[in-house]
Amino acid sequence: MEQSGTSALLQGAVQDIASDVVSALRGGDHVRMSGTMAADDIEGGLALAAVRVLGADLLLPHVLFPTPPAPEVLAVFRRTVEAFPLRPDAAPTVRWSHWAMRRTLLRLDTPLNGPPGMAADPEPDAGWLDDAPWQTLTHQLAVLTPLALPGEDCAVALAARRRPVDVARGFVRAVRRRDWQQAAGAGRWLTLLDGVPDTLGLETGLDFVELMGGTDPRVALQVQAARVVRAAGALV
Amino acid sequence: MTDTRLMHTVGVRALEWLWAHRDGFRLETDVDPEVGFLERFKPVGELALICRVLFREGVAGSRQAELARKLLDHTWRHTLDGGRMLVRGQRIEPMSPIPFEVYLPYKELGYSEPEVERATVLYHRLESWSALELDPTRRLGLAAFQRRFGLTPRPPEAALVAPTWLARRPEPWTVGGHIAYDVTHTVFHLTDWGEHPEALPPDIADYLATWLPVWIDDWLDLKRWDLLGELLVIDACLPRPTLDERAWEGFAAAQQADGAMPAVRGMPEGEPDEVFDMIYHPTLVAAFASVLATSRALSELTHAAP
Repeated sequence: MEQSGTSALLQGAVQDIASDVVSALRGGDHVRMSGTMAADDIEGGLALAAVRVLGADLLLPHVLFPTPPAPEVLAVFRRTVEAFPLRPDAAPTVRWSHWAMRRTLLRLDTPLNGPPGMAADPEPDAGWLDDAPWQTLTHQLAVLTPLALPGEDCAVALAARRRPVDVARGFVRAVRRRDWQQAAGAGRWLTLLDGVPDTLGLETGLDFVELMGGTDPRVALQVQAARVVRAAGALV
Repeated sequence: MTDTRLMHTVGVRALEWLWAHRDGFRLETDVDPEVGFLERFKPVGELALICRVLFREGVAGSRQAELARKLLDHTWRHTLDGGRMLVRGQRIEPMSPIPFEVYLPYKELGYSEPEVERATVLYHRLESWSALELDPTRRLGLAAFQRRFGLTPRPPEAALVAPTWLARRPEPWTVGGHIAYDVTHTVFHLTDWGEHPEALPPDIADYLATWLPVWIDDWLDLKRWDLLGELLVIDACLPRPTLDERAWEGFAAAQQADGAMPAVRGMPEGEPDEVFDMIYHPTLVAAFASVLATSRALSELTHAAP
């Protein structure tokens, strides 16, 4: 199916920003948003939409490394959170993605619409994950990779922690189907979980995913995040 | 868990198709020896193996058991000419294990051709036979057959497990169609075609319990019924079979009204013999998976009973 012009543009913008995040993760540097930031008003809207797609992972390098984000990047992130308020009928993954963005903002910026020190938003419900078959569980977790962080103890992370074998199965399924983005996302989660079967071969699996799908910056982002997380875990 | 009747019915229908198409089990007696007279023995041997499983498990209905017996009689008397065709095969290609492999299940079911046995005992003494360069899985199978025949396998069976793909328990995401067939056949041989699930080494059983659900899920969605059927057999060989409902429902739905099971997606088109050659195997596998899964489901019921 041919993509509409808008969605192709959006996809391109998401890829550009993902590339910037990958560079920052590799270099331990600031996220620069080099291509997308130099945009006029219309493309500015595109940039916000692209940041919304990528979610809190835009600022992942600044969560994983103790470096503050560049003010202009943080400003775009804040504007994105404001520009896409949560709708009452939003799907659970959208609620969690939004929650993750607001939480990241709270960590790295002054709180939204409130005095400093404002409490974080209450967590959305994550019960749907406990009832999900392993295929669905992995798919949903791969959409929620901004929550795959060391020390994360939100309800989604706890649900993943309860089902390491199921997430590992989902990784295998995604690789078999050549869904590299899902495989990389599942792999990032797996680096955080105890009880992953040794026979999975996670480390070589992530290298394989990168080899096969790494030209997509969104895949590279997840693989690189997994490496950073793994290295952080090795240091602990 | 899947409805036992659904699993059982798949096998009943498969046997009906095999009986109705029994003339498809045919040898090509006038084939050029260079092409290979033995090529067409494989379906006959597989049929005998599956029928033996069916008698062994004792869960076949009377109609199914009758058809299995008639199929064995038919193929022994007509296709194999009372075993003479196996003798002929051994004379054309003495070092091929195929005539022996086809013969064994017939022998276990009471059929006999002394000349095949005499040749087998002789070949077993040859260095050449034990040195044949077979795939590790095939070599393991041949050793198991030698044991069942009453010979001491050369090389010993225990030494033949380690070289198989499955024994190494490799990365499960590397499994493709060819590797998957190696996996299923290793399990067939290790368990004597499902007779001894407990003979599966615990580390292999654990490995399969973890990853088999992924492979079943995948090949179900790909509609690769032949391989899915073999994977469902493997499931029934595990200490705790899942008898996966979604997989069995998909498998049963792929079966045609006359009992034929296509290998991939839908039914192929072509001359009757061509179609037979393409679908006899998945249909046999359907019978095999059905009888083992039914047997395991009934055992679970027995164990669950107060």
